[in-house]
Amino acid sequence: MVRSIAKKEFISTLRDSRFMALSILVLLLLLAATIVGLQSYKNLQEERMVAQQTVNEQFANAADRHPHRMAHYGSYAFRPKSGISFLDFGLDSYTGSSVYMEAHRQNSANFSQAQQSTSLIRFGEMTVAFVLQMLIPLLIIFLCFGAFTQEKETGTLKILLSQGISVRELAWAKIAGYSKVVALVVAPALLLVSILQFGRGGFEADGDVFIRLLLFILSYLLYFFIFIVLSVVVSALHQRSATALVSLLGIWILACVIIPKATANLGAGLYTTPTRAWMDAEVHEEVKKRIDGHNSNDERAEALKQELFKKYGVNSLEELPVNFDGIWMAAGEEQSSRVYGEHFDELTAIFEKQNNISEYAGLFNPYLAVRHLSMGAAGSDFSHYVHFLKEAEEYRYNQTQKLNQIQATQLKYGDKETRLSTDTWKAFEPFTYETPDAGWVLKNHVVSVAALLLWLVLVSTAGIKLIEKIKVA
Amino acid sequence: MNKLRILIKFEWLNFRADKGLLILTALALLAGLYGIYYGTTEIERQRENIAALEVLTEQNVEEMKMKYPGDADAGDLGYYHSTFAVNHPDSWAGLSMGQRDLNPYYLKLRLLNLQSQLYDTENINPLKVLSGNFDLAFVLVYLFPLLIIGLCFNILSVEKEQGTLPLLLSQPIGPALIVGAKLVFRIILVLGMALFLSVLAMWWGRVVPDVRVVLWFGVVVLNCLFWFGVAFLVAALQKNSAFNAVTLLGVWLLLTIVIPALLNVYVSVKQPVPQALALTIQQREVVHGGWDKPKGETMEKFFALYPQWRDTAEIEGGFAWRWYYAFQHLGDVAVADLAKSYEEGLYARQQLVNSLNVLSVPVNVQGVLNAMAGSDLPAHLDFLKSASRYHDSLREFYYPFLYRQVPFTHADYAGEPRHSFTGSPDFTTIYSGLAKLLVSVLLVFTAALLLFKIRTVTVK
Repeated sequence: MVRSIAKKEFISTLRDSRFMALSILVLLLLLAATIVGLQSYKNLQEERMVAQQTVNEQFANAADRHPHRMAHYGSYAFRPKSGISFLDFGLDSYTGSSVYMEAHRQNSANFSQAQQSTSLIRFGEMTVAFVLQMLIPLLIIFLCFGAFTQEKETGTLKILLSQGISVRELAWAKIAGYSKVVALVVAPALLLVSILQFGRGGFEADGDVFIRLLLFILSYLLYFFIFIVLSVVVSALHQRSATALVSLLGIWILACVIIPKATANLGAGLYTTPTRAWMDAEVHEEVKKRIDGHNSNDERAEALKQELFKKYGVNSLEELPVNFDGIWMAAGEEQSSRVYGEHFDELTAIFEKQNNISEYAGLFNPYLAVRHLSMGAAGSDFSHYVHFLKEAEEYRYNQTQKLNQIQATQLKYGDKETRLSTDTWKAFEPFTYETPDAGWVLKNHVVSVAALLLWLVLVSTAGIKLIEKIKVA
Repeated sequence: MNKLRILIKFEWLNFRADKGLLILTALALLAGLYGIYYGTTEIERQRENIAALEVLTEQNVEEMKMKYPGDADAGDLGYYHSTFAVNHPDSWAGLSMGQRDLNPYYLKLRLLNLQSQLYDTENINPLKVLSGNFDLAFVLVYLFPLLIIGLCFNILSVEKEQGTLPLLLSQPIGPALIVGAKLVFRIILVLGMALFLSVLAMWWGRVVPDVRVVLWFGVVVLNCLFWFGVAFLVAALQKNSAFNAVTLLGVWLLLTIVIPALLNVYVSVKQPVPQALALTIQQREVVHGGWDKPKGETMEKFFALYPQWRDTAEIEGGFAWRWYYAFQHLGDVAVADLAKSYEEGLYARQQLVNSLNVLSVPVNVQGVLNAMAGSDLPAHLDFLKSASRYHDSLREFYYPFLYRQVPFTHADYAGEPRHSFTGSPDFTTIYSGLAKLLVSVLLVFTAALLLFKIRTVTVK
């Protein structure tokens, strides 16, 4: 009985030309989004790779220079796109793509896509994730809103129940039927996406991308199932199809349009972001005053000198076997980087607090949960961005310190003229970036995973209970 | 006329009794109030942050005075001293924040190479800017259409479905009057709300009351009328309520999300701006290459641009600040073409959007509102231009000190130029947008009326 009801729902949906038209439309949009995503991914990735290669070569082939000049010359880090970010651009369009890494200074990541766009970009971007997050739920609503109301309106509900099937079984049968329909719509798209992903990188594409893709697909399947059950529940609670539909559309608008914006705005309102100008000024002040809280810069230099004199048993800077300029610069770099790092962590913590409001709101709104998971899996979420910034800063710090080290060991004190040969620069490893693994993603989005699972349990227990209680007049 | 009044009165009574509609209307009103609060607070915060920059500049000057208690070398100041170029929000910015949350509203500038400072970004939370602003413009462009759809999707169909249509038509009133009265009632209600929220926002945001008040009202009214027209058009199809609801939401989705997203892709493909990365890379090469070039060559190039400093003292020794700033500036000159074409590319993107916005009323309306508030991309580009000019004036202020080798005294700080910029409304975009909007409204109403005429209203 259950099986035949499921089959009936499946078949009658396939016969519904309006639903088929909508499904084809959604599939076409999915296809368009995939093509657009891949194309944009390719363009951006190539642009950044070319840029990275150019600056790497420039560094390796730089003229004979003083090491500190080279430290000022610095390097660039261009953020590579994550392998499957073509599925979900996430924050990528809003985050800077290039960081200039030089001595003494931590620069901002510049040239985001959004800054190069008109206000058009604020309407949202056409990505696979967008279709899956916003449009498929609408399709599901359209598919399921009459699940119970139609039976009530035509009076078939009573007849069905008189056949000995329970309301609960009926609900599950319908859910099974609808799930099959949705699977029929999304499976080809997801399959295509997977083939494209692995066709592109060949099968040697690493296991991590596979896990990310799996996480991506699983989150969406879970999300769709939640939406199906939710829609059936809402349908059961209504007497008329029209009102059930309007309620469901209202839920969709609230969940997919209003709440995401409201929570993000709320977060930013609750936790104030310091401006970059103030942050820089504070870092500057602190660097000046730091070290035991009272020693000035000059006193510090003096202390370091005495320490070195003692260590090497000499009385003047000229006699030191190492170049004090390099040592002093390295000490300054270490200190300013540490202070900056602390402020950067504070800033990130503020952003995370702001974002947590949205992430925790996923417990009430499965759309937010799937959105965070999806961005995480695609490598385009906030933590991936911060991870990149930190890697860039670490590279900047190490490069500068290495150059300071060269100055300290290969140049004499006070020597501002000597130029080291270009071979010196060739020995430097260029900046490379590795995306963290899928386990790291899961750890960052425990809340969202929990939220989706919670919703799954909630709709399939409490939701079905609600259906069981309906009155069959 | 009397019949119309009676019908409208009964619509009012009906509306008052319908809890769902009341909740919907209350929600829209609340969203509007929150939008006003959010937009004005956010812009107020930007104002405070901008005011705080003055404190930072003062602090920096004090620090310089401490560092150089006597006369200072202007070259040292050019390197260690910084000022800000600021983009003050227009008094209307709180109503439609546009791209102001995304683009930095101030730039920290030193006497160094400008192109390496012009594109620095502000601390922004990417998730927040991705989610966008819940300002009044969002409420009017996104949510009011949904409110209108919610109020109108069943104006005709509900009477059929409840079986009240035959009863109504048995009275001496035609279907046109019934639909007309219902629409008029809803239009009065929604326009009343939209205008009330607008007036409140203008008062609360203390906007400069100029011609924009009228223009804003015009956009808001036309925008609402457009969506009423769409609802009317769909009602004229005489399908059931469920069909209407899905169709209307589909149209909303198409116009507010799908078409803009596709347009965005089209614009970025049609008008790429690959100059950015090239610009930043090349600028560094030229500036740092300056150290390796003979000083005479560099100065010769610089004097060609600034002949007035040609007959100044020859540079001796390994380092001179004026040589340093000369090659910094030559770095800007070297990438001037790239910078220009980058800027033009961005303006061209906006131009392209302005010509394509006929395809989507929401895109058009959002564009007009942003243009009114001076918060769109062109306004930001204007700010960057103004910041460049400011950098020019800074250089011109410091050059006499550098080339005549005049010591920089404490009194000279007061003479340093300061910067202030406020984006101005773009009336070309506003008027052309309004014209297009008017055409859209007329088109949709004509189509709806025609369809309504052709299809005689059936009672079932």
